[in-house]
Amino acid sequence: MKITEALRIVQGTPADAPPFNVTLACGFTPLHLHTFLHAHLQVALPKRAVRIKEGLFGDLCGTLEKVGECDGVVVVIEWPDLDARLDYRNAGAWGRETVASVVEHATLALDRIKAALGRIPSGTPVALALPSSPLPPIFSAPGWQASEAELLLNSTLLHFAAELARDSRVRVVSAERLAQESPWESRFDLKSDLKAGLPYTVAHADHVAELLAKVLVPPAPKKGIISDLDDTMWKGIVGDEGPENVHWDLHGDSQMHGLYQKLLGSLSDNGTLVGIASKNDPAVVAKTFERPDMILRSEQVFPIDASWNAKSGAVKRILETWNIAADSVIFVDDSPMELAEVAAQHPGIECVLFPKDDPVACLQMLWQLRDLCGKDKVSSDDLLRLASIRQGAAFREQAEGGSAPEAFLEQAQAIVTFDFSAAGEPRTLELVNKTNQFNLNGRRWAPADWHRETSGERSITVAVAYEDKFGPLGTIAVAKSQFAGDRLLVDTWVMSCRAFSRRVEHQTLRLLFETSGAEEIEFCFEPTAKNGPTQEFFASLIGETPKMAFRLRKSQFEQNCPALYHEVRELKKAEAHG
Amino acid sequence: MDDVTPKLVECFQIVFPDLNASKIPTASQDTLAEWDSVAAITLVNVIEEQFGIEMDLDDVAELDSFDKVRAYLQRRGQPA
Repeated sequence: MKITEALRIVQGTPADAPPFNVTLACGFTPLHLHTFLHAHLQVALPKRAVRIKEGLFGDLCGTLEKVGECDGVVVVIEWPDLDARLDYRNAGAWGRETVASVVEHATLALDRIKAALGRIPSGTPVALALPSSPLPPIFSAPGWQASEAELLLNSTLLHFAAELARDSRVRVVSAERLAQESPWESRFDLKSDLKAGLPYTVAHADHVAELLAKVLVPPAPKKGIISDLDDTMWKGIVGDEGPENVHWDLHGDSQMHGLYQKLLGSLSDNGTLVGIASKNDPAVVAKTFERPDMILRSEQVFPIDASWNAKSGAVKRILETWNIAADSVIFVDDSPMELAEVAAQHPGIECVLFPKDDPVACLQMLWQLRDLCGKDKVSSDDLLRLASIRQGAAFREQAEGGSAPEAFLEQAQAIVTFDFSAAGEPRTLELVNKTNQFNLNGRRWAPADWHRETSGERSITVAVAYEDKFGPLGTIAVAKSQFAGDRLLVDTWVMSCRAFSRRVEHQTLRLLFETSGAEEIEFCFEPTAKNGPTQEFFASLIGETPKMAFRLRKSQFEQNCPALYHEVRELKKAEAHG
Repeated sequence: MDDVTPKLVECFQIVFPDLNASKIPTASQDTLAEWDSVAAITLVNVIEEQFGIEMDLDDVAELDSFDKVRAYLQRRGQPA
């Protein structure tokens, strides 16, 4: 991004949009870093008015220690923040004794930064960048040799960052990615540092700001990958050559296919759905997946759709099985024609060419997939996702089979668990901010606002988990409410589409009436383009589709509530806190 | 009008969006409170981008009015 473009984006910040307040803590003059950070965050959050507050020059820790309620904190550490003698602007000497104490001072400074970060209000995300400008020639060894002191300094810094990365609020910018995008030789501007206190070149400030913005407000990861098989998952055409003669290893000069399988397996293990759309004989495909040397295991893939029909049809069936939209999915194929056919039928799907004859491009593609699907933290629900999709398919198969739906629900051995202590769990807010179809009003919450509102004494926030004889679905619903006089006001209620048709929404309402003791619940309902299932649910209770906020009496609910067969378990706040 | 002026006016509009266009040709650090040291560096970077030139930070202190910046750019023979 150019500085001119960044300034125009900053000046175009919507004045009447809800604010997104960020504290920028760094010891140097942020200048362009501030402008670029504002611009990149504004692009990521077009419906918010990004506001960036800086601290005092030269006082990174002081700024951190004064951080109050905000939507995010950005911390940019540079060498002078660890020891003033690492500052080109500093007049101190670089003698042997100085070098010996630099590591000691850096350790103390990092401890202070860590303590200050620990005091930042809970729920506030923190983006952290480690020093990215070159160290001054302070150490005794020649420049081509890393001295013990330099290595110790770097090791201390990495240890500090690794400890912070364990904290679910803190996310650290990748030094490796920064090095790819901003080469060493074009990062540092000594003249600007000496004259204006800004060590970064304009280009480097842009690269650092871009990564910080991504780390603070990560793009939503893609939920699934649909892959081709022949010349993509493996080298060769399995229908012609046979299951035993396709390859994905060094021996078969096809290691890139093996690396692709490794990546898919790794993504699947972390909750990304992996499905297959292939023009093939299903029996031949199944036999290939039975090969013991297959790296991607069949249990990591669901569904496998092999037929001789158009791939767009297979993609459609897979999307229906996963119950997710095309714009949450990547389609990978070695054929540009197949990619075009699928793209034409499924607007929004991300089509990625498998460059089978170009290892360099192939490695770039693997990184592209990792970037598109990568997650900051892998939740227990991510680990359950594939199992729950299989569970859903089995559930539907049986429900549509011989037994009547009522009998089927009665025999499902369903357990609904209400957790009143989960408001602060990352999965809870994640579910609220990404669910569309069963969503009371489409409202998205900033972490700090969510934390503040759910901490109130008169607030009831419950996370709902579901399991039945087909397996667990994990946390699938969240409802947030508060008392307003003698009635309960529900302002947030979402449920994953994976849990539809199980009457979990009815059980949740029953629980809210029972827990609150209220005779009436008011719903801050708003129709959205996507919350049709929510509208249908409410229509079944009040006899018409609501158009705005409305109230539901307990007697009205009980009159229209179908039979519920779940075993109900409750985890109270007190239990969770021991 | 010379080639430099309209482009330079655009640079000032980018850096000082609240400044009335009619007041740009007479703008200086004495008359424009927003034209502080931070804005001066931003202005230099925007001019570098818009005119495709590199400017020396040593020159920045002397470029304290629209007229002086325009004269500097005319001396540099910009735009190319």
